[in-house]
Amino acid sequence: MDVQASNLTTSLLDRESHLEARNIHVWFKERHVLSDVSLQFPANSVTALIGPSGCGKSTFLRTLNRMHELIPGAGLAGTIYLDNEDIYAPGVDPVSIRLRVGMVFQKPNPFPTMTIKGNVLAGLRLSNRRTRDENELVESCLNRASIWNEVKDRLDAPAGSLSGGQQQRLCIARSLALAPDILLMDEPCSALDPGSTRRIEETIRELSADMTVVIVTHNMQQAQRVSDQTAFFLAEEGQPGHVVEFGNTDNLFSAPNDPRTEDYVNGRFG
Amino acid sequence: MATLESLPRPNGGVTPWKVRSRSVSIIIVLASAIPAAITFGIQKALQVPGPIALLLIFLPIQLVSSWIAAAATRGRRGIADASLNVVVLFATTFVSIMLGSVLYSVINWGLKAISPHFIYQNNVYVTTTTSLDYGGAGHALLGSFLVVGLATVVAVPLGIAVAVYLTETRGRFRSPVRFFAQAMSGLPSIVSGLFIYAVFMASGISRPAGWLASAALVLLMLPTIIRMSEEVLKLVPGDLRSAALALGAPQRRAFFLVIFPAAKTGLITAILLGLARVVGETAPLLVTTRVNANTNVNPFSGDISTLPTYIFSYLTAGFDTGNARAWAAALMLLSVVAMIFAATRMLSNQK
Ligand SMILES: Nc1ncnc2c1ncn2[C@@H]1O[C@H](COP(=O)(O)OP(=O)(O)OP(=O)(O)O)[C@@H](O)[C@H]1O
Ligand SMILES: [Mg+2]
Repeated sequence: MDVQASNLTTSLLDRESHLEARNIHVWFKERHVLSDVSLQFPANSVTALIGPSGCGKSTFLRTLNRMHELIPGAGLAGTIYLDNEDIYAPGVDPVSIRLRVGMVFQKPNPFPTMTIKGNVLAGLRLSNRRTRDENELVESCLNRASIWNEVKDRLDAPAGSLSGGQQQRLCIARSLALAPDILLMDEPCSALDPGSTRRIEETIRELSADMTVVIVTHNMQQAQRVSDQTAFFLAEEGQPGHVVEFGNTDNLFSAPNDPRTEDYVNGRFG
Repeated sequence: MATLESLPRPNGGVTPWKVRSRSVSIIIVLASAIPAAITFGIQKALQVPGPIALLLIFLPIQLVSSWIAAAATRGRRGIADASLNVVVLFATTFVSIMLGSVLYSVINWGLKAISPHFIYQNNVYVTTTTSLDYGGAGHALLGSFLVVGLATVVAVPLGIAVAVYLTETRGRFRSPVRFFAQAMSGLPSIVSGLFIYAVFMASGISRPAGWLASAALVLLMLPTIIRMSEEVLKLVPGDLRSAALALGAPQRRAFFLVIFPAAKTGLITAILLGLARVVGETAPLLVTTRVNANTNVNPFSGDISTLPTYIFSYLTAGFDTGNARAWAAALMLLSVVAMIFAATRMLSNQK
């Protein structure tokens, strides 16, 4: 138990994980929905995935922590490297990947049978790990998800009693409690008011000091504010989704190479 | 800044949509009183049986009178609503009366013979001439608890395990198993009894005993428990499963820490409905057990009485105190079923 606790703290200190997707293709049943996606996520970077609805951003995100394979009919080609190790190699336990690559879902999904505090600690319980000081962990995670002040007096209330936006921030706190190396966030701010959105964005910037973040967003300003690099996904009429342009966020927004990127970031379609 | 004071809700007067004018109220009263009076009159004059009078005389008259009332108060648009209301209310009342009279006769006859000692005494020394002050169905109540309890202990873990297989795994045999469980829910109870008879009694493995009855009941409970538990587990949102797995939970821990707690009250309801399905079963018990006037606490050997077989044996015996004892036992059985359903309701209401 102590060994595990100290593992947790050391992993808080030395976390230099990078992620790379190479030639990823995705099928659902016979339908090809993502084609040849190759992206690199250097350690401590924040990457924004943008693109119109239905172009495969969430799908791509799920391939990065092996949640994709849980969908019936899912298929995959290509390789994902986490610190140069293929996460789909035979013998790799998907559970160990998901512990290192955390995820915040598009829809808030707190555990309704648990309290607010229980939700924050749920990741530890579910993976059968312990921490030295639960209260401190709960406070710091809730703080970083900018919800501590709203819930500090009712940590033992059921999670279902929170508003939708509060639930989403609770889910962010829940992922942070596991101290993942990589954090995948699927439109984490889509249910949030401007104030909470700003605080979540600050949190993302802070998190990038010790983890690698990939965030899906429909908000161009948000992509520009939080990310170092941006990938623009697009699925044209009847074609699978693919990456049109990938690069430094400032370049992609100020001087896009592709006219479709320019149209999209300037709100002319999608 | 001025603070707003919250006002107490006044008695009445804050539901303006419920206010009715005097003339409308009078029309409503007349529209319900007149058909009832006419039906009553015709029924007295022609001596038609009650249910027929209700269906053929009251229902048409009530429909016409509600059309007139609706047209007078709400215009043409009210007529369709009025017909629907009358038919639905009539059907509900009719069914309630039918079910109510079953309940009434059991309670009415049962109360005549039941007494505290009837609930705990057994049937030893009871003959056709014994007064109702002696003897009871306590041994049969105990027998029912033993037989049904044993069946539950076996059927619940098995049934829930199968439901988990159907919902939580990608097993290859899910659809045949699901189909089989559904088909089994139509299994006639006498067939289940005969199956146990053929396997264990005709082959000489066992004499009639409580556990054989339990085995037959297990076959009857399983489909109910499997199907209900499957529905309950399916209701747990897929989002919760994903959330648990994305937090690095092995499937087993995700099930016990997230999915099972979310489905707990529903699973208990499934179990109680499985119980309710079999507590009153008679046919398989008649095939697999033999009644015993004495108390038998061992479901694994010897003759054992249960409430259904106790009722059956006294009903077929054909003497007055025997009939009375059967009604009293029926009342006990009905009370047990009522308690099971009350428990189900309480559990599904608490959230
Ligand atoms: N479980 C599934 N089964 C079959 N097809 C799916 C499934 N999930 C997604 N798809 C399809 O894959 C494509 C990409 O979906 P995805 O959810 O990744 O889009 P997205 O870019 O995240 O969109 P949004 O911005 O609206 O969230 C869509 O055409 C969708 O219909
Ligand atoms: Mg999406």
